[in-house]
Amino acid sequence: MLPSSRGGRVELILSLGVLALGVFATVIAFRLPEGGGYARIGPNFMPKVVSAGLIWLGIWLLAEVFTGGWRERVPDDPAERGEHPFNGAAFAWVTAGLLAQMALIQHAGFVIAATALYALVARGFGSPRWARDAAIGFALGVVVYLFFVRFLNVNLPSGWFGPLLGTAGL
Amino acid sequence: MSETISALLHGFSVALAPMNLLWGFVGVTLGTAIGVLPGVGPALTVAMLLPLTVKLDPTGALIMFAGIYYGAMYGGSTTTILLNTPGESASIATALEGNKMAKRGRAGPALATSAIGSFVAGTLATILLTLLAPLIVEVALKFGPAEYFALMVFAFVTVAAVLGSSTVRGLTMLFVGLLLGLVGIDDQTGQMRFAFGVPELMDGIDVVVLAVGLFAVGESLYVAAYQSRQRDELETMSGSLWMSREDWKRSWPAWLRATAIGFPFGTIPAGGAEIPTFLSYALEKKLTKHPEEFGHGAIEGVAGPEAANNASSAGVLVPLLTLGIPTSATAAILLAAFQNYGIQPGPLLFQTQGALVWGLIASMYIGNVLLLILNLPLIGLWVKVLMIPRPLLYAGILVFATLGAFSLHQSVVDLATLYVFGLLGFLMRRWGFPVAPAVIGLILGPLAESQFRRALAISQGDPSVFITHPISAALLTLTAALVLVPWIVRVVRERRSRALA
Repeated sequence: MLPSSRGGRVELILSLGVLALGVFATVIAFRLPEGGGYARIGPNFMPKVVSAGLIWLGIWLLAEVFTGGWRERVPDDPAERGEHPFNGAAFAWVTAGLLAQMALIQHAGFVIAATALYALVARGFGSPRWARDAAIGFALGVVVYLFFVRFLNVNLPSGWFGPLLGTAGL
Repeated sequence: MSETISALLHGFSVALAPMNLLWGFVGVTLGTAIGVLPGVGPALTVAMLLPLTVKLDPTGALIMFAGIYYGAMYGGSTTTILLNTPGESASIATALEGNKMAKRGRAGPALATSAIGSFVAGTLATILLTLLAPLIVEVALKFGPAEYFALMVFAFVTVAAVLGSSTVRGLTMLFVGLLLGLVGIDDQTGQMRFAFGVPELMDGIDVVVLAVGLFAVGESLYVAAYQSRQRDELETMSGSLWMSREDWKRSWPAWLRATAIGFPFGTIPAGGAEIPTFLSYALEKKLTKHPEEFGHGAIEGVAGPEAANNASSAGVLVPLLTLGIPTSATAAILLAAFQNYGIQPGPLLFQTQGALVWGLIASMYIGNVLLLILNLPLIGLWVKVLMIPRPLLYAGILVFATLGAFSLHQSVVDLATLYVFGLLGFLMRRWGFPVAPAVIGLILGPLAESQFRRALAISQGDPSVFITHPISAALLTLTAALVLVPWIVRVVRERRSRALA
């Protein structure tokens, strides 16, 4: 019986995802060479076992979906979990922060990327104070940057602040 | 016995060296802080700091990491008692009574009994670790690849299938972890597996990226989406910290019983501290002379679980140090820290790296004293840490989390992988998939594979080695029983209830 609730449909998709991962891994595992030596099993043996396991688990999950849904499932109603309904904007702000950091870190440098990440994530968690958050993010970025580069000798991209830090003797 | 004492004394001379003492202090302080902060656990913190291992000497780094691990157990209780949001999963049992005590204005004694109880249990469990480790090492020195493989299978199955709410979802995460562990160069033949020609994948998936992605990014996405628009109620720290004579009388038996429960549970692959804390809570509830107080703030219900989780965290180090088997997500990441230095924990560790391992054990005695000082007189400081607004806290967590992943290879690819694991972590949290089996699968999977292949290489490809060696056979039988017996019981019960209906 096909699941009718929204939660049930997600369970179906996730179960198929596990099955698909197993099939995909199997295809790759069968292309790996044998070459076992004394052990008579080679680098392809464990990949075959693991991908077979994923197929088996995908089928098991599907079987649960079609026999009344996953067992011991997390309640679909957020109120039952003591949470509020899914806040898509919050999710999107946090994602935007992480993507902005990826886009900025190589060229604009660690400090700018950290500032953007900090301000966008704080916004995602409901903070209304953009300027304050950006300032805290910037200060944190500078402190972490100096600690890593000066104290631990770990290289981080200086980006736009390279020249500035240079003239300040840092 | 006298050998153990002299080894331990040598360990103290290592642990008391100024730099190691400093790293130990940094570790327990950080541990307390992250234990207090909701959303950050010891597994995540150690994972974020793993890239620093390149810069630190192994003894100092491992003393710090161990300090973070058991320090987090102390700090967790503060959050639980004052906020009713368990800081760590191991603190859930404490929340049942601790927060009720705080609501009745008894936050002080609740914090005191958990700090002193953690100290008593942590110290007793460290003594047990000191005595037990050399005995296990004796036995483990006789283990060959077949025995190790069987032991690892046992650990996999208990962590993934027996614990947690769903066997199938636990096993799914274990196999996802095992698959991720296969990515990269096969160290026995040099064969590239599942790397698709991507240079970043050829070295394999780094545990830092997986753990930080699942714990920090996944957790932040989840909390933002489902919890960020809620308000927390912080109880004020009113009244004195002093426990009355009555409080002491009711606490100390609970501490001792909890140590007896927590330590053994830590040593077996039982997924960390959740089970012993709940067992201790149930036991105290049963034995108490004040059953009417349970559910309204009974001090035994705080003393027991808090002592149990500290005892179990020392217990977890027994299989990790003597056998190289991690039994919780944090232990798996500690194992990765050892591997970063090219050190493989196991019985040989006690012979080849005696100074390191005994220094680490000695540092735990010192760490527990430091933690008692940090958590009693300085409790007010940690309460202030709790007041950091959530938006600023989570933004900070993500700055440090991404920094940890980025500093591995200075690569944006690692940040992108981190986000993909974050999305996976979000789905796992929402749909009830456990994280620990994935992390343990990633770390322990490649070791299990190489033990398996070594065992077969020794036997010239004859797979019967796994059942002709008695220890290996016993472990594999036990593993099969752990999976099959509950399943058979369930099927029989369902049949019977269907027959009756």
